[in-house]
Amino acid sequence: MSVSRDDFSIAFRSALLQRGGAQKFSVLSLIFLALIIFFLDVYGVKFTKPVRGIINDVVYRVTFLASTPTRFFPQISKDLSKYFNVKEENERLKIEIEKYKSLELNVEFLSDENKNLQNILETEYFNKNLTNIVLAKVLVDKNSPFLKSIIINKGTRIGILKGMPVTKDNYLVGRVVETNYLSSRVLLLNDLNSRIPVTLDQGAQAILSGSGSNNPILEYLPEDYEILEDINVFASGKDGIFTPGTPIGKTNEDGEVELFVDPNQLSFVTVNFNTKVQENF
Amino acid sequence: MAKVSILNKIYNSGPLILLYYLCISEVDTNLEKVFDIFTLNFQIILIYFWVLKRPELMANGHIFLAGLINDVVMGYPLGISSLSYLIIIFFGTYVRNKSVNTTIASDWFTFLMAMIFSNLLFFSLLNNFSDLTFTFTKIGYNMFFTLFMFPIFWLLFNIYQMTFIGMRDA
Repeated sequence: MSVSRDDFSIAFRSALLQRGGAQKFSVLSLIFLALIIFFLDVYGVKFTKPVRGIINDVVYRVTFLASTPTRFFPQISKDLSKYFNVKEENERLKIEIEKYKSLELNVEFLSDENKNLQNILETEYFNKNLTNIVLAKVLVDKNSPFLKSIIINKGTRIGILKGMPVTKDNYLVGRVVETNYLSSRVLLLNDLNSRIPVTLDQGAQAILSGSGSNNPILEYLPEDYEILEDINVFASGKDGIFTPGTPIGKTNEDGEVELFVDPNQLSFVTVNFNTKVQENF
Repeated sequence: MAKVSILNKIYNSGPLILLYYLCISEVDTNLEKVFDIFTLNFQIILIYFWVLKRPELMANGHIFLAGLINDVVMGYPLGISSLSYLIIIFFGTYVRNKSVNTTIASDWFTFLMAMIFSNLLFFSLLNNFSDLTFTFTKIGYNMFFTLFMFPIFWLLFNIYQMTFIGMRDA
């Protein structure tokens, strides 16, 4: 019995303290080191933030370089399939152009009418500063089961702050949650931690919550509200961060919101500088 | 002769290079795009197998560093993945010290123990010390598929070991 206990303690101690050969550090010393680093990072001691920022910038750049081959080969196959479908696509686009030409006149009329009505009501035209945006390239788009985020190649150097909304083709994709000097992390709308106030086509207000899957869900809808298919969802702007009316997606038959922009297919995004974001997160 | 020696060094570094590459690159083993619930923690399978079979190829310091890189890329608090990997190393080394001969079944069972403790520490720290939210269903799927895939990778790594490195079991 005592022999077996001795065996256990020897094996246990050896597993924790063993060094020599290729092992220059014991497991125990590295566990202590990891715990120190962890608590320094979590409790944000003064010097850790800039150090973490520098580490982030360097690692994100290396990640971008290391991932180049994985981006290159799928792109070739995509380009080839595009090339073979060019005739078909051309015909489809011609039909679409005709459709949009007829819609354009209608949109012009409606937008003029909208501006005139807003002038009468003396309300601010919320899209007047829409040009104040910055284009950013997606450096890293690593799929994690627990955190849906992307890294972009713009940071505090050009004035990006935490909380700034990020869009693609004017569709909302997320907001900045981490800033470094040369890069930033964007939390996508489908992440479990994402919550934004939205408004639906019929004027109902709700909170769009990430579910961890591709499609976020709507919470805090009015009582007895029935979610129908194909209802457009827009940012309500009630939080003062997102521009009111920014399109997000439309509801599907399961009551989830299908985003207009596929969060897995982002290569360039725009960061919106219009909103008065205070970095107080 | 020198060429053979260089090749051997490259083959021996294979697992470590793969670990670093998985941590630093965009390549991920989460096939959620293909199958909604399929997520897999490939790194811990890789570490556990090689710590158990050939610990001299997987230095603790390198695994610690790979964990830090993984934290930066994934956006986790620094050091949390390293801690999780170090628990895997600890279990692997302990099992190696205690056992004379291992089989796929015994490795599979001890891997389950290692994974439970490693994930317990990882998610407890994440839950208590960060703002990140996660669902227990996701963690469950992740653990299930990691455990389910272990024998497949065990066989593949064993083939790699026999073909390129040579057998020298515990």
